Amino acid sequence: MKILVCLGNVPDTTTKIKFSGEGTKLDKTGVQWIINPWDELALTRAIELKESGQVPVEVISVLTVGGTDAEPTIRKALAIGADSGYRVDADPADSYQVAFQISEIARQEQFDLILCGIESSDYNGAATGSMLAEILDYPSLSAVSGIHPVNGHLEYTRDIDGGRETVTLDLPAVLIVQKGIAKEPRIPAMRGIMMARQKPLTVKEPGPSAGYTEMISFELPAPKPSCRKIDPDNVRELVNLLQNEAKVL
Amino acid sequence: MIKQIVFALTLLATVGVFTYTVLRLAALFKLTQKAFPVRDIGRRLALTLKVAIGQTKILRQPGIGLMHALVFWGFCVILIGSLEMVTDGLTGHERSFRFLGSAYNLIIASGDIFGFLIVFLILAFLGRRLFLKVARFQGPELTHRNHVDATVALSLILILMVSLLGINMFYFRMTELAGTAEPGLFPVSRHLSAILGSLSSSQVQIGHEVSWWTHILLIFVFANYLPYSKHFHVFMSIPNVFLSNLDPLGKLKTMDHVTTEVKLMMDPQVAFSAPAANAPPVPRFGVLDVEDVSWKNFMDSLACTQCGRCTSVCPANITGKKLSPRKIIMDVRARMNEKGSGLRSSGSSFSDGKTLLRDYITPEELWACTTCNACAQECPININHPSLIVDLRRFIVMEESGAPGELNAIFSNIENNGAPWQFNMQDRMKWADGLESAGQPISLPVMADLAAAGKKPEYLFWVGSAGAFDDRYKQVSRAFIKILNFLGVDYAVLGTEESSTGDVARRAGNEMLYQMQALMNIEVFKGYGITKIITCDPHAFNTFSNEYPDLGGQYEIFHHTQFLREMIKSGRLTPDKTFFNGKDVTFHDPCYLGRANGEYKAPREVLGAVASSVKEMNRNRSFALCCGAGGGQMFKEAEKGNREVFMERTDDALETGAAIIATACPYCMVMLTDGIKYNNKEDEVKVLDLAEMVARSLEL
Repeated sequence: MKILVCLGNVPDTTTKIKFSGEGTKLDKTGVQWIINPWDELALTRAIELKESGQVPVEVISVLTVGGTDAEPTIRKALAIGADSGYRVDADPADSYQVAFQISEIARQEQFDLILCGIESSDYNGAATGSMLAEILDYPSLSAVSGIHPVNGHLEYTRDIDGGRETVTLDLPAVLIVQKGIAKEPRIPAMRGIMMARQKPLTVKEPGPSAGYTEMISFELPAPKPSCRKIDPDNVRELVNLLQNEAKVL
Repeated sequence: MIKQIVFALTLLATVGVFTYTVLRLAALFKLTQKAFPVRDIGRRLALTLKVAIGQTKILRQPGIGLMHALVFWGFCVILIGSLEMVTDGLTGHERSFRFLGSAYNLIIASGDIFGFLIVFLILAFLGRRLFLKVARFQGPELTHRNHVDATVALSLILILMVSLLGINMFYFRMTELAGTAEPGLFPVSRHLSAILGSLSSSQVQIGHEVSWWTHILLIFVFANYLPYSKHFHVFMSIPNVFLSNLDPLGKLKTMDHVTTEVKLMMDPQVAFSAPAANAPPVPRFGVLDVEDVSWKNFMDSLACTQCGRCTSVCPANITGKKLSPRKIIMDVRARMNEKGSGLRSSGSSFSDGKTLLRDYITPEELWACTTCNACAQECPININHPSLIVDLRRFIVMEESGAPGELNAIFSNIENNGAPWQFNMQDRMKWADGLESAGQPISLPVMADLAAAGKKPEYLFWVGSAGAFDDRYKQVSRAFIKILNFLGVDYAVLGTEESSTGDVARRAGNEMLYQMQALMNIEVFKGYGITKIITCDPHAFNTFSNEYPDLGGQYEIFHHTQFLREMIKSGRLTPDKTFFNGKDVTFHDPCYLGRANGEYKAPREVLGAVASSVKEMNRNRSFALCCGAGGGQMFKEAEKGNREVFMERTDDALETGAAIIATACPYCMVMLTDGIKYNNKEDEVKVLDLAEMVARSLEL
């Protein structure tokens, strides 16, 4: 089985988001880039499957759509334990463009199982995985929270309202995974980082799609108002503020 | 003549077996890794005189320590007598060391007294082992075989001493009958020999021969039994102390082959390029199995006599966790016994399907360690357990990335945002917002600003990740800044250029991340020409003082308590000693100020200047119990046990009845504050940093 894990290259969660171009672009200066946390869990689970030996996994590849500045993220995935990496040399524009670029490589390389995180922690579009399945015309499952080898095959679990369902799928397929797919993300071991240097990272030219979305502007959420303390004896004042100012009562 | 031949043959057999043992051990030592160069012979001799001959560390438990010391000193004296017996046996002479004159008389007389004393001491030791269930002698790592071994060794010593007294008694009686008695030689045995009064001259001679042969043959047996017994410490302790690691306890070994790799990783030109085809394979990181341990680890394991002092002071063990430092050391010896011969015959690729890590030592044990160094401090013969524990962690982290998830998370945070907590580096100055003293705003000098203005301050104040991001410790940073400001000290902070020291990563086994942080920080320090650093964090103090020099960073480091002490001594700070009147204060020693660096005085002198009533905890100074946060524990769930270490330590503090627990470390602050909350004593008992106490007493 050949597994592809699609990686988003996203700003670290502590990043101070700033915009440039009068609020039309993310200002990337000083940003520390990380693997999208959902994708990191997907990769962790893929490696666990390979290591368990309960299903034959020949190769785990990772892919990201991005410029050369995205390569450290791919290297990190290789250090964590992926076998080979792809970078489609294009700036990610929107979910469709990214899904389209992934689909080109997925077709060329004939992956059996494609894992996408349910969303990315930067734009939170939550659309790439489904679009990818649609473009490839592969079966897909969304919000997968478990992948289980059973007698040499894979079964998938999804959390549904009030319970959990177990599903099987014909391969090739796209799995859109959510948190819980792996317990904790793996981090690269030093040995892994050294080995990653010898693993192949292929750069691909982008296919013919530039996406359909036009970003008009970004704005930051209003800063949190400071906390106001009310004397515990002054309940009337509290009720008044909650009712008339906060308008929550 | 026949006696001489028999003796020579026996001695030859003894030496033969012993030589076999020594050669076998030498071959096993060859399987181990390098540790540290053995230099400073003068310092080593002084250490050996103090710790081995002077028994200073065993005397940390005065009662039982003195009993052991007496046995040891007695052995030293009696050993000379044994050498004389060997000479007598070979030459056929009697008492051939008599030429030593009055020194000889002294040796024999004191040997006689010691022999008598040791009989009773050994009986007491046997009684303790067999009848009093001394906690130190219990533990899952001590098998029935270990207990039998201890009893056999003690019994052998007992018979040795009884036969020695026998020799002396019969000899004295012999000389008495011959009219040449020298009562001064045998102050004890001459009285004991009264019971021989009814024996004839030939019976006395036979008695003397029997005692003599029993004694010397037992010595031969004992000498060859020891290397296979826990009592090998009789031979190994003195060399083990002599070959101690002379570094402070707080210094971990820098892994040179990690440095090489880390420098490659940090070089953008080669970071991602494939290594040269002919590059040699990089050896294993850390310790997986017994061939990865250093010669000193192996020597420690041979010298260990399983006394359990280490385990009895281990905060993890005291609170019911699986870790027992004694077991870690015993496991090395047991594993070498199991795997050594295979490694010798089949080479380093030999595998028996087992490993020291996991088959002997579980990760759960390793992750319970707080690296407080109480075990190493306590060991009478300077065994170093924490360095081996960290080496085992290093394998788990750097080869397998198998640390507990919470530790992996802090590794990622340090890598991504330069602190174990998830805060952006740009927020590193927020702790100083609105800082003022006596109504006057304080503007914090920042290195980059000063450098831009062409200025170089005398000191860097290293705030540390806790000082910048931990809500409670931010107040300590603020208090200390007020003092610096009050003194008009020429200092600056790095502000957003500060990043984790890497200490916590290092002690959690991530040598790679530590070295990356260290090399980065050293570059920053170099850029500003920094030579003097003050910090409120003992962990930063330790790693800067002891560990950064290995990577090329040499600075003069002051813990804030040392700095405050100097300022008080020189009269520049005159805190109001009556400010905390009516309140008893106790001081909790941070491990990385105390045991790791031997600094117990500075904080107490500062405390003495602000508080009039100081109550020491029972466990204080080098005996102090860890707060439970070191070695990465701050950031993870405690391993399974009976209770948390911080509760145990808080009990120590509460027992003093103090209203203020003073300390001088961000981790200790968090843990003890939690302990007070846990005991619902927040209203009665406050945990304060010494800097806060000084600042308050000066009304800053």
